[in-house]
Amino acid sequence: MEPTRDSHTTLVDLLDRVLDKGLVLYADIIVSVAGIPLIGVNLRAALAGMETMLRYGVMQEWDEHIRAWERDNRGERELPLASGEQVVLKMLGSYLYSQGIYTSWRQGYFYVTDRRIALYLLTFGEVLFQAPLQSIKGLATGRENHFSGDEREHLCLLLEGGDVAWLHALDTPQLREAIERGMAALGLTWKEMPAFAMHDEKATKLLTDGEEIACAGKMWHLMALPSPGGVTTDTWQSGHLYITNRRLCWWYDFEGRLALEIPLERVAASTVERRDLGPALRRKRVFDVIYETEAGKRVASFSGDRLAEWEEALNRIIARQGTPLREETDTCPQCGEAAPVKELLRSGCDKCGWVSPRVKQDMLRATPAR
Amino acid sequence: MQHSDNIRVAPSEGEAATKAGARYLYCVADSDEKVRLGPIGIDGHEVYTVPYNDVCAVVHDCPAEPYQSADAEVVKGWVIAHQRVVDEAWDKWGTVLPLGFDTIVRGQEGSDPQQNLENWLAADYQTLKRKMEAVRGKAEYGVQVFWEPQVIARSIAGMSREISSLEEEIKSKPRGLAYMYRQKLENALKREMEAKADQCFRDFYSRIKKHVCDLRVEKTKRPDDDRQMIMNLSCLVDGDKSTHLGEELESIDKMEGFSVRFTGPWPPYSFVSA
Repeated sequence: MEPTRDSHTTLVDLLDRVLDKGLVLYADIIVSVAGIPLIGVNLRAALAGMETMLRYGVMQEWDEHIRAWERDNRGERELPLASGEQVVLKMLGSYLYSQGIYTSWRQGYFYVTDRRIALYLLTFGEVLFQAPLQSIKGLATGRENHFSGDEREHLCLLLEGGDVAWLHALDTPQLREAIERGMAALGLTWKEMPAFAMHDEKATKLLTDGEEIACAGKMWHLMALPSPGGVTTDTWQSGHLYITNRRLCWWYDFEGRLALEIPLERVAASTVERRDLGPALRRKRVFDVIYETEAGKRVASFSGDRLAEWEEALNRIIARQGTPLREETDTCPQCGEAAPVKELLRSGCDKCGWVSPRVKQDMLRATPAR
Repeated sequence: MQHSDNIRVAPSEGEAATKAGARYLYCVADSDEKVRLGPIGIDGHEVYTVPYNDVCAVVHDCPAEPYQSADAEVVKGWVIAHQRVVDEAWDKWGTVLPLGFDTIVRGQEGSDPQQNLENWLAADYQTLKRKMEAVRGKAEYGVQVFWEPQVIARSIAGMSREISSLEEEIKSKPRGLAYMYRQKLENALKREMEAKADQCFRDFYSRIKKHVCDLRVEKTKRPDDDRQMIMNLSCLVDGDKSTHLGEELESIDKMEGFSVRFTGPWPPYSFVSA
């Protein structure tokens, strides 16, 4: 018996081999659709008998039909382009929409064209966000913990006028690359920003020209707030503390405004100590910043995480600015002579001999009773 | 795929990237030659080799997209073209490791498809060589054994005492009971047929095995006519042994109610995957 390879009578045998067999490559370098080798699905369907043809073929037609209907009725359209405008990249993504107290990530398709970046909702033909490339002044890549538990990469755009847009895309680095390439093609320059400086919109809104944020973070602040009955009480409020190369400022979250602003040259001293903040908050660390105002010295108290680091950072920044912290001075309550506070408290006034009540008490206690 | 999450539509660069962004892979051949085989590929593409050490991949340039079509004729054309290229390489170099249809090596960020392909050849070189040695000088043959159920059933009925007595009984029974007996008869026949198929399989398998280096038991299929396929094998056979296999198959083919389909020689598609 002789084997046959007649191309007509052995086509099925050929297909069995060529479609289902052969050397296998590892999947990450070969083309496939959603990880499924195509052969199994499409081509098999095409080659299957009538019965299978109906099953696949009809379904396919039905599917196309449904899709077409949906396309027409939902009016899913591409982003309308200006004449001559070229799309460079289209990618699924989202941006942080913020209006008043409402913030949410809004999803759509990012279009990077040769002139702008836009986030477009195909289904409703709505532009959710757009910015001309010319308006981008700075870029930053930040990582943030997403509620899903993953660390997510964001792209921040600092726009003309100080607005910050937070973007996230399927492939954020690729989105950034497309924007940068587009800007470079237009001869635009931009500044690489540290990511935390773009932490939120308020941070960049409060910045003056040439000012840069060195530290930023959540921080409670003891605020004097009017309470009913015309009395002002100090209460802890939540907000964000920023140390820039010029100022120390605290953003009051509840009212969305800058509630405290201390130029660095006015900062007299800073300490971190433990205090009782309330009945349940005993021996908590507090970061005190003593600063000078026209009306005399004031203390701004902050409470939050890693206060020692904050204090160190403040000192470092002040040292770098060339105005090292002066020793805090006060006047002797008895003679009015100016002297360093630490000295006054420890050994009293060396002009008139005044000593603080605490030192007196300590001395009394140290002296054996007569 | 209606929607792609990540569509690059850069007109100049993007198009060029998809145009020659991948390599369609036909086979890996036992040769270090870097040659062009001419426009013999799928859709008349220029086929050439990409050598690494003493082996080479036989490829053509293509977009990083799979070939797909709902038209059976188109697909058949592609598959035949695929086989033509593999055959050409097989004739030329003697030993090939064929790939299945639609194996396309793509480029990745930072590396072109050519690089990917060469990396793969380098990384899998030892395995490729081992597989090549396993199939050197050998060819694959398809062996399918069919029987005609009526003929077999008749011979079984003649031999099985249980069945012949049942057949006798049916004749003397009223209609209702006869129906039940017929069911019984059919079940008994089915059991006997299965046992017979099993026995034939084992018998043929051991007879065929003597003449082959390796074999794979494939799923049986349903032929268009009223025969039944009881055995479907892919056999790897040494070049000069195919006549022995042919003789053995001939003796099976001559048995009453049996027929054999003997196809090949094929490139060793079934013996390169593991």
